[in-house]
Amino acid sequence: MALGRVLGEFGRVAIHLLAASALAFLIVRAMPGDPAVLLLLAQGQAADPATVAALHAQWGLDRSLPGQYAAWLGDFLAGDWRTSFRTGRPIFEEFAARLPVTLTVGLGAFALALGVAGPLAEAAAARPHGWQDRVLDAATLGAQAVPGFWLGCVLIWVFAVELRAIALFEAGPQRYALPIAVVALAVLGPLAQVYRAGLREVGRSDYVRAALARGASRGRVMVQQGRRYAALGLFSTAAAEAGTVVGGTAVVETVFGLPGIGQFVVDSVAVRDFFVLQAFFMVAVAWMLLASLAARLARRLVAPGAF
Amino acid sequence: MSHHRPSGVRRSPGLLASLAALAVVAALWQPYAPDAVDLALRNVGMSWAHPMGTDHLGRDVLSRILVGFARTLAAVAVVSSVCVGVGVAVGILASSLQGFARAALLRTAEFASVVPSLVAAIAIVAMFGNGTLTVGLALAAGAWGPHALLAFGLAERARGETYVRAAAALGAGSAHLLRRHVLPAILDTQLAYLGAKVGRIVIAYSALAFLGLGADSSRPDWGAMLFEYRLMMFDQPTLMLWPGLAIVLLCVALREGIGWDKDAPARVSPP
Repeated sequence: MALGRVLGEFGRVAIHLLAASALAFLIVRAMPGDPAVLLLLAQGQAADPATVAALHAQWGLDRSLPGQYAAWLGDFLAGDWRTSFRTGRPIFEEFAARLPVTLTVGLGAFALALGVAGPLAEAAAARPHGWQDRVLDAATLGAQAVPGFWLGCVLIWVFAVELRAIALFEAGPQRYALPIAVVALAVLGPLAQVYRAGLREVGRSDYVRAALARGASRGRVMVQQGRRYAALGLFSTAAAEAGTVVGGTAVVETVFGLPGIGQFVVDSVAVRDFFVLQAFFMVAVAWMLLASLAARLARRLVAPGAF
Repeated sequence: MSHHRPSGVRRSPGLLASLAALAVVAALWQPYAPDAVDLALRNVGMSWAHPMGTDHLGRDVLSRILVGFARTLAAVAVVSSVCVGVGVAVGILASSLQGFARAALLRTAEFASVVPSLVAAIAIVAMFGNGTLTVGLALAAGAWGPHALLAFGLAERARGETYVRAAAALGAGSAHLLRRHVLPAILDTQLAYLGAKVGRIVIAYSALAFLGLGADSSRPDWGAMLFEYRLMMFDQPTLMLWPGLAIVLLCVALREGIGWDKDAPARVSPP
């Protein structure tokens, strides 16, 4: 039974990925311009009909539309993500080389936000109108009103120009500190807010009142019952905020000059590098689905009977 | 009289109307031509003639902020109305259908919530050009999903409420039920959810402009101004201040104007 459910979750992810791939394929097909000609021009070669026809055959573009899609999907799954018009190199290699930078910022920001959100929300739920409660409200406002790219610029100005505290563009782990902090701030507010709301809801519930009436201590009840329930909302929100992390990472890489996937994609978009966009779309959706899958499995672990 | 449970969110229609009026004025009138380069007046500080000073090309910063304000508000209006309009329509439709059609609509809304809206917008803008309307629609394309799921949940709940079932038993038609009982409850919650996320719409629009993918880069946009002015942070750090402050102020004003629900994110559980 449990195995069947887990398999069902994977099936759900597969269907979403298939839908995303169809969308990515159709959007790129709908765009003007022959990709084979564009690639040859980008590589500085003459676009003579024979070479163009050879590329069409290699990419399956001479088949029917469903045939083209099947050819593209097969290649994509096999790791052939086509070649970037801009750099002339395989997109899979370009992405793989930049993945560590992007993952460091994205996962680092996620870990930092979750690590701070938990204790902050528990303290805020325990003491309404205390300072932790106010910090949490400020973090929420920050996520809803302060753009990461501006915050990043201001931080660069404060730390690098005014204080001369850090050499921002030198290699080394310290260059990740500010980008991670900026992206983490964008997701900290929503995560902590949801967790606090969940904890407060539990605090008002009948079963917590009943436990208190039986003589259990408030702290013990909240730790045993409250966290478990509130974590359900936290996991769902974390999955939704995974999208904020993707967008925030792309922006922050541009601000801080980090050579990650986001920066590569932004440079590619300017010259309409279709296949890079297609690959990025797929990677972003896969990341969202992984986050959503992780959240669902975590919810099952925390509350096996709830679903 | 409608019986829905109000969310208790305070709204300020007056503030929203003032913002809209200000945007119309800002679009039609600026103290100087926003793109007029005057190299004799480069990097002038704040003064009565130039309240926000001039930039590295001698352009009046206030005039550029005003144009950016009108453009940003227009784009946010497009994104918000598409999200709420499509979301409510799809949610109610799915709730009134059965079987495959209902499942298909819900799965589509789920899929739309899975696609990160900034990523979707980058792809769409790169392919279909970048008018203000296109950018607004592109941002909405990846953002309407949660609105539909939220509306669906509320429509289902409203249909089950005693007072709605009582009205139906008394012979009220489905159009009447929808208008008097289901829609008010849904719209109230939609606006509270929108108020909590409208700042992120402003930020996403500015981020696109910052990345060079905004609407028509020949016209001033706050994000594009920041991208340009951040390079001057050594000589003129105040230039960087104005577009950033403008974004923060607009986000806060829209949030207070529309009204927002403290617990809004908790109400929409993604797929």
